[in-house]
Order: sequence, then structure tokens, then C-alpha cells
Amino acid sequence: MTKQLHLRRTQITGFVMEYLVFVTILVLVIVTAIVQPNFSTAQNFTNLMRQFGPLSFVALGMTFIIIGGFIDLSVPGIISLVAIITLSLVDTIGEVGAMLVGLALGAVMGCLNGVILVVSGASTQAKALFITFGMSQLYGAAALLYTSGTSMNRTFINHPMPVTSALGQGMVGFLSLSFVVFLCFLFVLYIFQSRTALGRSINYTGGNIVAAELSGIPTKRIMVLIYAICGFMAAVSAIVLFSRVTVTTPTVGANFERDAIMAVVVGGTSLLGGKGSVLRTMMGVSLVVLMSNCMNLLGVQTHLQEVLRGLILVTAIWLDHRRHR
Amino acid sequence: MNVAVHTQGNQIRKQVVQALSKQKAVVAIALMLIAMLFSDSNFYTQLNIMNIFRAASPNLIIAFGVTLAVICRGCDLSVGSVMSMSGIIAILLINNGMNMYMAMIVAALSGAVVGFINGFLVVHQKTEAFIITLGMGMLVKGIALQLTDANPVPTSRDKALAFMRISNGVFLGIPHIMWYMLILGAFTFWLLRFTSFGRNCYALGGDYEVAKYSGINVVRTKWIAFTLTGTYAAVAGVLLASRMNTGSAIYGDAIPLMVNCGVVIGGTSFAGGTGGVVHSFIGIMVMQLLRNCMNGFGIDPYIQQMVLGVVIVGIICMDCYAIKRKKEDV
Amino acid sequence: MENADNNLILSVKGVSKSFPGVKALDSVSIDCRRGSVHGVVGENGAGKSTLMKILSGVYTKDSGTVVFDGNVIEQTTPIQSLKRGLSIIYQEFNLVNTLTVGENIFLGRFSEMKGMRNIHKKARELLDSIGSAISTHRVVGELSAAEKQMVEITKALSFNSKLIIMDEPSSSLTADELKRLFAIIGDLRKKGVTIIYISHKLDEIFELCDIVTIIRDGKVIDTKPIGDLTRGEMIAKMVGREIENEFPPRPHCAGDTLMEVKTIRTRKLKDISFELKKGEILGLVGLVGAGRTEIIRAIYGADKAKELRILINGRLADTKKPRKAMVEGIGLVPEDRKLEGLVLPFSVQANIAMASLPRISRFGFINRSKEKDISDRQIKNLAVKTPSPHTKVVNLSGGNQQKCIMGRWFEINPDILILDEPTRGIDVGTKYEIYLLIKEIAERGGSVIMISSELPEVLAMSNRVLTICEGRITGEFNPESDSVYDIMNAAIG
Repeated sequence: MTKQLHLRRTQITGFVMEYLVFVTILVLVIVTAIVQPNFSTAQNFTNLMRQFGPLSFVALGMTFIIIGGFIDLSVPGIISLVAIITLSLVDTIGEVGAMLVGLALGAVMGCLNGVILVVSGASTQAKALFITFGMSQLYGAAALLYTSGTSMNRTFINHPMPVTSALGQGMVGFLSLSFVVFLCFLFVLYIFQSRTALGRSINYTGGNIVAAELSGIPTKRIMVLIYAICGFMAAVSAIVLFSRVTVTTPTVGANFERDAIMAVVVGGTSLLGGKGSVLRTMMGVSLVVLMSNCMNLLGVQTHLQEVLRGLILVTAIWLDHRRHR
Repeated sequence: MNVAVHTQGNQIRKQVVQALSKQKAVVAIALMLIAMLFSDSNFYTQLNIMNIFRAASPNLIIAFGVTLAVICRGCDLSVGSVMSMSGIIAILLINNGMNMYMAMIVAALSGAVVGFINGFLVVHQKTEAFIITLGMGMLVKGIALQLTDANPVPTSRDKALAFMRISNGVFLGIPHIMWYMLILGAFTFWLLRFTSFGRNCYALGGDYEVAKYSGINVVRTKWIAFTLTGTYAAVAGVLLASRMNTGSAIYGDAIPLMVNCGVVIGGTSFAGGTGGVVHSFIGIMVMQLLRNCMNGFGIDPYIQQMVLGVVIVGIICMDCYAIKRKKEDV
Repeated sequence: MENADNNLILSVKGVSKSFPGVKALDSVSIDCRRGSVHGVVGENGAGKSTLMKILSGVYTKDSGTVVFDGNVIEQTTPIQSLKRGLSIIYQEFNLVNTLTVGENIFLGRFSEMKGMRNIHKKARELLDSIGSAISTHRVVGELSAAEKQMVEITKALSFNSKLIIMDEPSSSLTADELKRLFAIIGDLRKKGVTIIYISHKLDEIFELCDIVTIIRDGKVIDTKPIGDLTRGEMIAKMVGREIENEFPPRPHCAGDTLMEVKTIRTRKLKDISFELKKGEILGLVGLVGAGRTEIIRAIYGADKAKELRILINGRLADTKKPRKAMVEGIGLVPEDRKLEGLVLPFSVQANIAMASLPRISRFGFINRSKEKDISDRQIKNLAVKTPSPHTKVVNLSGGNQQKCIMGRWFEINPDILILDEPTRGIDVGTKYEIYLLIKEIAERGGSVIMISSELPEVLAMSNRVLTICEGRITGEFNPESDSVYDIMNAAIG
């Protein structure tokens, strides 16, 4: 009898621990909804969708990296450099052309990360962490060098930018255009991940890279592929990011790696590799966005929010290890 | 005959290459020192050499701490933020009228607390050290930002002189901060070489399970190592704040990767169980000299950041590549 | 507690231990006489290691009593057991590779030893006492397996051990080294030290032990003086049924030449060349570290080779990468199941379908029903014991895990299947099933290259045997007609 009770108690604590982050944020949302009447307004809903923007795209890309058993800290560098270069090209090659160049550049930088990892034979998360951090320094420095450290203002660009404005402000029914774009990406990447052989190969690679290689899975190409996807998605983020504001700086991408990793892990994709999905990441992004929205509405100071975000990140990583070990 | 000579030559070459690759940090230092002969700067002056060591001192102190974590097959990426935070705490407390020494001790203890939490998460809860300390670093940086509202905080004017003397004073012609570095280095050297705690660190870094079944209290040992790592970083933070007379949340941004890379360059391996204080000292000096070299040649700071990125990537890649070659060369 | 028998160093009575869902030990009783060499045999998973771990204090027992050296032991930890005089030498050595020999011997006791110099002095004395000349300043990672074993034994002696338990001590030793080990065990016995010797290799048990205890399914089946048992009886007791033969009759299907290995050259391998016929089972025999695994890994493209020339059906084949080797019709069941074979947290189905991704997908999209068909077919075909195809493979027993990897390749049905230690760590019953599967491949016309450290196994299964020594092929034998002595001789070199 007592044993049963004990069992139930451990089950309950186990459940609570597993969904701790989820539950905490849910409680936060409920509290905000009660305390702040502004929370459940149409205006705030639009706000939420907008906030979804840049982070969600990077997080989708990061999902593949983490499922593949690696990590990518070069995201801030890529975002900063892509944003700067794309904006600077608008005057010469037009808006759409500049965006295409930016996207290609993101994919190329991602590829470069992957190739460096493959060539040097770095096959662990820890090594990937150091190398991509170094790459981030490199990309970030390139962005700083390109503008000599100054920011770049959209209003000074002579070329009209209808696509950018639409991406930043446009609505499709009651959904913002950037959110619709996100849903499209989500759909395509979900199909890619769950239905294609390539998507499955990423899971195998993350699960056991040696076994995958010996079973004929092209693990090296997979590594390059996931970094390319992440770089590409970071470039998409960069474009969405400057579509909403008029100014971009060479350090605009700062902290995106943290928030993306947080969203992925909070969603339930394991840092140990092999397990996870983009749908979970969508969930994770929602939670992270809701959290900042609620904190903003409740009037929590910006820097205190940073502390809480760090706390959520650490807790999420900790719980992930508890769950999967 | 000819063949024999040829293979002998090969062997000698191989041995030389091997010896050099083992001491690549020393080789790097030598190359940079030679390069500096050709720069116009006043590199080879007593003052400058002293300056290099003084500038490297906080990083070295952090590196000694990180060495402890790395020998235990851990890693600490939160050291940069801890350094920033402790400096800020020390200055804020002093400004609020706390006794200076008391404030410094409290600041150092704040690092011990972060180290303790790292230890709990890594050792007790068995999370991956790299990723969890990265997260802790972000959390601690948030605290540092919150404390300062993202502005640098100077010591209030009446206390500045006394506080600055802690690091900037000179004893026997050598700045205090270097003395602290040397003392902590010697202490860590002794700790790792001659105490059973140190030997146990090597043992559990070499093989955790074996150490555990041999009756070593592995959890406690590694936990203490992480706590010490945090404490060292906090001490470095206080000393840096004293040297600069300012605390800022962004001092430590580039530190963790710099220091960890320095430690690896020196030859303390992330695989655990090897390396030591001397290794780390050499490794950090490589990073520091690189910076001084670039300054000496008047290189643009953004390009310096680029070079640093390349160096970090290059060094980790070389490490990986060496392991890969070793594996393939069966 | 001086009641029982002062002749007994260890007396285990009615010890039971359960893990969630499994009764690992069921009222086990064993008595060990002082100064004897006591063999313990049993299939994998029979409960030997659980019993040893209870004795050493890694696990705590659920019930029963343990009396060691006249004292009732209730709860203990590994280090307490050591200090009482009970040492265990595990199969995977309990040594820290980055530390020196001396430090390893006194690991965990640095503070008691008062300084490194004293540690090395004491370690030297102990090593001398068993006639080993290993320097105490050498780093353990550089030692050979045999030398490491000496260090382990020395470490046990440093605790004044009265009882030393050796778990599969011979698994990585050469014949010569094994002889030396037996000599040392003989010496220890003379000094009054008791040895519990756990082994799969019945020959060693017969050569060395005085008494043998057979464990099966967590129960002690029998304890008898070694003279009262025959090999057949012992196997029967281990398995629980009389196995007429340990091996099925070998197939004779060898046909035309399928693969010619013209040359393989790496730093370790020197000009390897041999050929493989269609429907043939080719055994590679050699000591651990002779280069057997390196040969097949080079053929499969898992390791890089300086020079690699292979003809398949008379055509030059490109096997630089595993993927390419697969296209050429080669498959590999690797040596280390868990590290190289399986994705442990994935399902049985995912593990079986792993290599079949290209065949179950069209335009890059996976056909899920085909994936299910594949795994269902192979689970049935190989009789994999799993609750469902969605069970995580980590929860299966070693034998069934191995079947999952075999199933992966059976589905692809390569012309050449390379098996590296296909039965390592697998119980006798499942071993037999795996032999039947190997036979099935040959009968279907496939060729097999088989590596095994268990000589009887290779000799009984292969049509032809190549001996490998120090990176060279030193001989080719017909296991049916040539003597085991000649083969072993060629393998030792």
C-alpha cells in the first residue's frame, strides 16, 4: 500500500520534472492572462505572431543540427553578416536579387561549417561547439569589417522594398505574412524530416554516427547538409529580421544561438542526438515567445528577462539529460 | 644502401615532426617572438614584456581553474560571465560601503556558488559539461547585465585608489596582479602534483568508473574541482575590476572560448586525465602573444577578431585532425 | 561466526537479487575452500556477474547471507570489500590509462601512502613478488593486455587479498601469456590465496580449476570437483539441455572464385592477398591484435588503406567507403555491437531497416509499409525475441541485438557477408541459432568471411581457414583435414 503510494508519488514527480519547463510557462501564461487584460487582445495576438518570426526560422534549422547530434553556435555571425550584406546589395541588384544572394550566402556559410567539421574529423558535439563558435567570430568580424562597425539603415536605401515591407507588415487574413511563410517552411521541413530517406538518415547519424556510416549512410554528406540547412534558415531569419525594423547592425544576430537552442530543447528534441522533430521545435518556439510576451506584459525588466531566459535554458538542458539518460 | 640512408633520413624527419607537433605551442611562441623582431613596435622592452604578462594574468588565473575542470574531463564555458559578474559584485558592494576586503571575498564566493551549481549539474546530475556551462554562462551574464543595467560601473571616487592598488600596486618591480597569478599558479601546481585531491582528479579524468570503484569519492572530487574553477574565475574578475577600476558585463564575453582554447593548445586534452598548469600557462601565453603581435603590427581590431576566430577553428581542427589521423593510421 | 568451517574463505547462502522484471539470482549458495581455484561457468546472463557484483558491493543483495573470512558481510562497498581482502579483476580492466603503474596500484589510497616515492617503492616490491619487471613509472595506457593483467593482480595483492575473483581473464591473452597467468595463479594458490575463475572457455576451466560451479538462470545448478564432470555434461548443465553438437554440420557449397583480394597495405597490414569462393565460409584465425579486424575493415572501406586492390567477379571493385562496398555486394557485422552496430535508443524496426533506406524509398520518400514489412520479415526469419518491432533495441539481450544486425544484412542479402566476432558475449543457445544462420547464407550461395577468437567455432564452421600473424597471412588450412596444432602454430607465428 505504502509502496503503491510511493510509486505514485515518484510517478508524479517524474511527470512534473519532465514537463517542468512546459508547466512553468503555462502557469506564467495563465497568470498573465488573468492579471493583464491586454494579453488576450487581437493586437497582442498579432504581436505574438510577429515575435515568432526570426527566432522560429533559426530554431527550425537548429533542430536538424541537434537531431544530427551536433550544435551550431555560428548562427549569430551568419545572421549578422547576411542581414548586412543583403541590405547593402539592394541598391545594386534589387531587392529580390539581394535576398537570393543572402539566402545563398547563408547556405554557403553553413556548408563551410559542415565541411570544416568533416575535413577535420570533428565528430563530437563539443568540438562542433568550439569550431562553430570560432566561425561565428569570423562571420561576425566580417560583418563588422564590412560596415566598419556602423549600423545600416533601411531608410537610406534608394531602391523601393515592397517585398521586405510585405514580409515585415503584411497580413494574410488574420495571420501575418511572416507567420504564413514560417508555416510553409514548417510543412516542407516536417515532410522532409519524417518522410524522406535523407531526413531519416539525419536521425541515424545523430543516434550513432559510427553505426550509420557502417550501414552505408553518407554521414559526412549529412553533416554538411544539416549545417547548410541551418545556415540557410539563419539567412531566412536575417531577412525576416530586417524586414520588420528599419535598421540593422553588424551584431544583430547576437543571442540567437541561445534562443534557438533553448526553443529546440524546450520543445523536447534531445541534445544527445537522434530524437526530435520540427513540430516539437514549433512548440518550443511558441513557449519561448509566449514567455517573453508575458514577461513584457507583466513589466519584467529587460535584463531580468535575460536572467530568466538563461534559467529556462539551463533547466531545459538539465531535464533533457535526466530524461534521456 | 641508398634505401637505408633514405629511410633513416625519413625517420629523423619523422621524429623531428613528432617532437615539434608535441610542442606546437612552444613552436608557435617561438615563431611569434621571431616575427616581433621585424615589427617596428617596442615589443622587446622590459616594460612591454611586463605588460604582456600583466594583461595575461586574469586569463591565466582563469585558465588554472579551467585546467582543473578539464583534467576531470569537464569543461567550463561559464568562466567569462563569472569573471564579469564577480568584478561587478565587488565594485557594487564597495560602492555601497562594504569593507573592501569583505566585498572581494563575497565576490569570489559568488564564483564559488556558480561553480558549485555547475558541479551539481555536471557531476551530480550528469549533464554534458559543455552545453550546460554554456547555458550557465548566459544565465550569469544576465545577472551581470541586470546588476549594471548593461553599463560599466566604476568604483566610487573615494575608494577607487585603494581598490586599484590591489592589482596595480608593485612589489619587487612586479605588479601585484602578476604576483597573485604566480601564487595561484604555484598553488594549483602543488594541488595537482602533490595532493591526493590532485592525483584523484587525474585518476577520475582518466577513467571515471575505475576511479569510482577504487574508492575515490569521484563526485566530491569533481564537484570541488568545478567549484574551484568558478572561484578562480571570480578571483580573476575581482583582480581585473581592480586593475581597470571598472566592472562591466561584457568583459568576459570572449573569455571562455579563448581560455578553453588556450588550455587545449597547451596540450591539456578534453579527453581528460592529462595536462597541467604549465601546459595551460604556455597555451594562454600563445593566445596573449598573438594579440600583442597583432597589436604590434597595427592590425585592425575587427581583423584581429577574425584572426582569433581562425586560430580557434584552426587549433581545434588540428586537434581533431591529429586524432583522426592517429585512428586511420593503423 | 566461527561455527561453519574455517576451511571456507567464502560462504554464500541463499542469496537472491531482483531487478525490475527479472530475478537475476534465485537463492544462490556457493562455498569456496581456502587455497582452491574455484571455477564458475554459465551462459551469458546466467547471473555470474550479478553474483560477483554483489560480492564486491557494486550491488546490494535482496536476501541471503554472505560470510567472508569468518565475518558475516551485510552491506559493503567495492572499496570495503577490497580492504577486507576480496578483489575482483574484471574483463575490462579497472585501470586508469593515463596514470602510471604505481599510481594505479595504489589508486584511491594516495593519502594513506604518504608521497609518490613511497608508492613507487611499494609497487616495485609487489611487482617483483610475482616476478613482473614492468616499470612502475610507465603509463598504463601503453601496456599490453597481459601487462595490464599483471598490474591488476599486483593491485589485488597490495590489499593482501585472500580471495581474487577473475572475470574472463583470458579473453585478450595470447597462449603464452595465458600460460604465465596460469603459473601465477598456481603460485598464488600455494600462498593460500583463493581464486574464483570465471570463464566461457571450458578448456581453461578443466586445466586450472579444482572445483566448478555451474550457474543457469540465476540458480546454482551444480558444484562438483572438476574430475567428476565431462565437457559434455558441463555444457548440458549450462544450457539445460543436451546439445549433441555445439556446432551444426558445415555446409559445402564452395563454387567459383567470387572475390580476389589482390593487395591490402596499411601500416599494420603487409601485402594481404587471398581469394574467396562463392558459397564459401572463410575463417580468419589469429591472436587478438594480429590484424584480422583490420583486414576486413579495409576490405569494407571502414578504414583507409594505403593500397587496396580487390577484384569481384574478375572486375576491379571500388570499396573505399562502406557505402561503396555495399554497392559491390559486401556487408559487415562489426566487432563491437553496441558502438559500431546498433543505434541503441532506436527501435528494433529502425535498426533492421537501417541499411535498407535506399530500397524502401522512392524519389527519396520512405515507404513506411515496406519498412514494416522488412522488419517483420526479419524478426520472424531470425526469431528475434522482442515484444514488438517498436521496442528499443537497448532493451534486448545481447544475442537478440546481434540478430537485429544480422537481420539488417539478411534483408540486403549481400554476396559477401563479413562477420567479426559474431557470437561474442552471446549465450550458447543463441550461438547455435547464429551458426545456423551463417550456414543458411552459404547454402543460399552467399560467401562469408568469419572472424572469431573462439578457435573451435571458426574451425567447425569454416570451409577454409587463413591464419594471420603480425599483419601477414601465414598459412591456409583446411580445418577438416589439417590439425589444430598446425593451425595454431601458424597463427602464433
